[in-house]
Amino acid sequence: MEKEDYKSNYNTHVIRLVVILVVVGVGGYFAKAAFTPDTMGQYGHYRGSNVEEQKGREMRNMTNDSCFQCHKYIRRIHKNGVHKDVSCEVCHGAYADHVKDGKYIGKLPVKRGAEIKALCLRCHNKVIQARPRDSIKVVALPQHLEEKKVRTDHICDQCHMVHDPLLWVKQAREMMGMKEEK
Amino acid sequence: MISVMSAVAVHGESLAQATNFIFPNDLHVHWSLMIVLYPYITGIVAGAFIVSSLYHVFHVEDLKPIARFSLLFALAFLICATWPLLNHLGHPERAMSMMLTPNPTSAMAGFGYIYSAYMVVLVMEILFIYRPTMVALKEQSSGLVKTLYGLLTFGSDNVSKKAMTLDHKIISFLAAIGIPMACVLHGYVGFIFGGVKANPLWATPLMPLIFLLSACVSGIAGIILAYVMIKKFTGKKIDVACVRTCIKFLWGFFILDFVFEMLEVFTHFYMSTHHWHTLEALLWGPLATSYWFMQVKIFSVIPFFILMFLSLVKVRDKVLLFFAPIVSFMILCQVLLMRWNVVIGGQLMSKSERGATTFHPQWFEKEGILASIIIMVAPVVILWIFGKLLPFWNDEKQTS
Amino acid sequence: MQDIQEIKNEIAQDRRAFIKKVMGGAVAGSLLMVIPATATEIAEQIPGMRAEKTVFTKKRFAFIVDVTRCIGCGSCCVADRNEYDVPDGVYRTWVERYIIDDQDNVFVDSPNGGTDGYTEPRTDIPNPVRDTFFVPKLCNMCEKPSCVQVCPVGATYKTEDGFVLIDPKRCVGCGYCVQACPYSVRYFNKNHTADKCTWCYHRVRQGMLPACVNVCPVQARKFGDILDKSSEVYKILHEPHVISVLKPGMGNKPSLHYVGLRREVV
Repeated sequence: MEKEDYKSNYNTHVIRLVVILVVVGVGGYFAKAAFTPDTMGQYGHYRGSNVEEQKGREMRNMTNDSCFQCHKYIRRIHKNGVHKDVSCEVCHGAYADHVKDGKYIGKLPVKRGAEIKALCLRCHNKVIQARPRDSIKVVALPQHLEEKKVRTDHICDQCHMVHDPLLWVKQAREMMGMKEEK
Repeated sequence: MISVMSAVAVHGESLAQATNFIFPNDLHVHWSLMIVLYPYITGIVAGAFIVSSLYHVFHVEDLKPIARFSLLFALAFLICATWPLLNHLGHPERAMSMMLTPNPTSAMAGFGYIYSAYMVVLVMEILFIYRPTMVALKEQSSGLVKTLYGLLTFGSDNVSKKAMTLDHKIISFLAAIGIPMACVLHGYVGFIFGGVKANPLWATPLMPLIFLLSACVSGIAGIILAYVMIKKFTGKKIDVACVRTCIKFLWGFFILDFVFEMLEVFTHFYMSTHHWHTLEALLWGPLATSYWFMQVKIFSVIPFFILMFLSLVKVRDKVLLFFAPIVSFMILCQVLLMRWNVVIGGQLMSKSERGATTFHPQWFEKEGILASIIIMVAPVVILWIFGKLLPFWNDEKQTS
Repeated sequence: MQDIQEIKNEIAQDRRAFIKKVMGGAVAGSLLMVIPATATEIAEQIPGMRAEKTVFTKKRFAFIVDVTRCIGCGSCCVADRNEYDVPDGVYRTWVERYIIDDQDNVFVDSPNGGTDGYTEPRTDIPNPVRDTFFVPKLCNMCEKPSCVQVCPVGATYKTEDGFVLIDPKRCVGCGYCVQACPYSVRYFNKNHTADKCTWCYHRVRQGMLPACVNVCPVQARKFGDILDKSSEVYKILHEPHVISVLKPGMGNKPSLHYVGLRREVV
């Protein structure tokens, strides 16, 4: 091809390309600075303000002592009984569903009937393998009921008051003049 | 009735069997079809680029007819490479965080910059190679298309010898740095898997290498298939020497790829260390069909011998042009199966080392089969659009 | 004795009414009662966390799980699900049951992560049983967490006081951390971001024990500051016990210690 007159120089396209790349690069650099969260890198490669956000999360469960602030009668029974290490909230639900900012906001479910039996058997079921050798007392159903000579459709809490399961048992024995069973 | 795993089974996965124990959180496979497709697509991109560079950098003259086409092919797939990832992310609107605050210890964080840089290099190489063509086409068109050509040529109409010499230097440079960049583009994906020590199938130093070699293989196979099919459908003449050379390169890369894949499994088997029993249970259990029968026997061994035959024996053109697309398609299936077996297979094993979960892709879920088909068809559509704007073949519309 | 007499009288009258009163909380007072003290007046369970001058980063927390005590009741899982909004089918903490027979076959199960307790024995054990135990699992809070290493955007991180947390506003939901955790403690929550057990960071910073530690009826889970020589965890870690961690070969250096763990546990 013979040399002709061109509108542009031989390197116009290269220059324009380089300019575009530089503009995009610089623009990207500033965009990065603008959009990166402020506390990024405060402690490490993460958003530092998230640590406070996580700390400020609402606690939903409390402790048994929180429940006992109001439920004083049950406290007397529970704290002196064999279930003192059992959490109120595992059976009844989280504190946050019941009290908020010191005020009652909702009713927590009370377990009845077969629900109670299922809860008891979580810990006290003898047939489940894998328990430690020396641990809490376990029983097998219906053998336990047969042993105690009661009807086999009994629910646990008909003899064992759930907040201190040995309370009535001990009192019954005392009334009957029986010795403590080992 | 004993229910060993009574976790709520979402997405239709089955419960584990009696002596099979998986960790409760291992029931669900988190990286599904989309993550199978992403390395597949970037692999094709890297492989197609290697084909082009074999001509532009290593001067394999036989490949001239497809040198330009390979780049357009690569770009069509590169454009779609982010789609499976964005579809997979729980928060795709935050995807730019990978560019804003990339974690230097994370292989995945490299994605944003590696992909962008590679896109720039590939697009620039295409624009430079096609510039004289586009300058000529600009004169012959009007309206929106004319403006488009004008933009793509940076408003320059200069195709003098001096300009072409400059262009040639730039093209050679881009093609040269494009090779390591293509290796990084796909190699880092291999490292994403290879660096996960918690997964015995993935954690191996060979993973980036295996991924890269199978990428080259899939790219070359894709080019061969596309070249032969498009020429056949448009009734144009096929450069048989080009296809022959491609087949030879395909065989060469495939030998390396297959050897490393088998070496990986064989070494684990031979050493039989702690994690072998979990891998064995996987490869001879849930993965027996998709790995040994399909990936290895049908789609590796058979194509290996076909490729060997086509490479070593000077067969008639008709025979070559019959088998080339078939074997290319089989290789493309092999690479897809390999991605599937690595990505999905790796997640089937529970980290409990005592069981495996199941995976059944669904047609209409977010990361399901229909979405996958759409994503794999899209590059073909994009390539077709490219074909409307730019000539695929060097033997048409010569401009210099 | 006075209290017992009162109770005896109550029982004598009408046991059903008695139960109703106790259950209904009527004995405790009006339903509209405002509790006299706010939550923060509950005594600190971790000494020194609330004091003004406490530098929280000077604490070093350890979580100890005593496998010789766990009874598989699942209270920990219940408390955890009460504390956080955990979707069905994923778990922040769970309990596994191990049964080992005399041929060294190991049978492991975890129905619903142990959240409902264990209600059925395993009936598919062919040989006599040599050993059985429960193993609670939760985040190991590794010193070299592989999840933090792989997070592409810095959404999961290790705090100055050694807790591995997840920033729900930055997580993009890629799932890389879920793949990288050797202990499978991570999952996706309802907001499509990664989530996991945090050792109840918000409770600990306010001087309360993690929810699961608080409710364990047999003290199988223990938590405390190992720089506090009076703490139980200090004592355990300075006495001759069989103490181990899960998957030590991974190199993550977990801060979760197990007492009485068997070699069969993965």
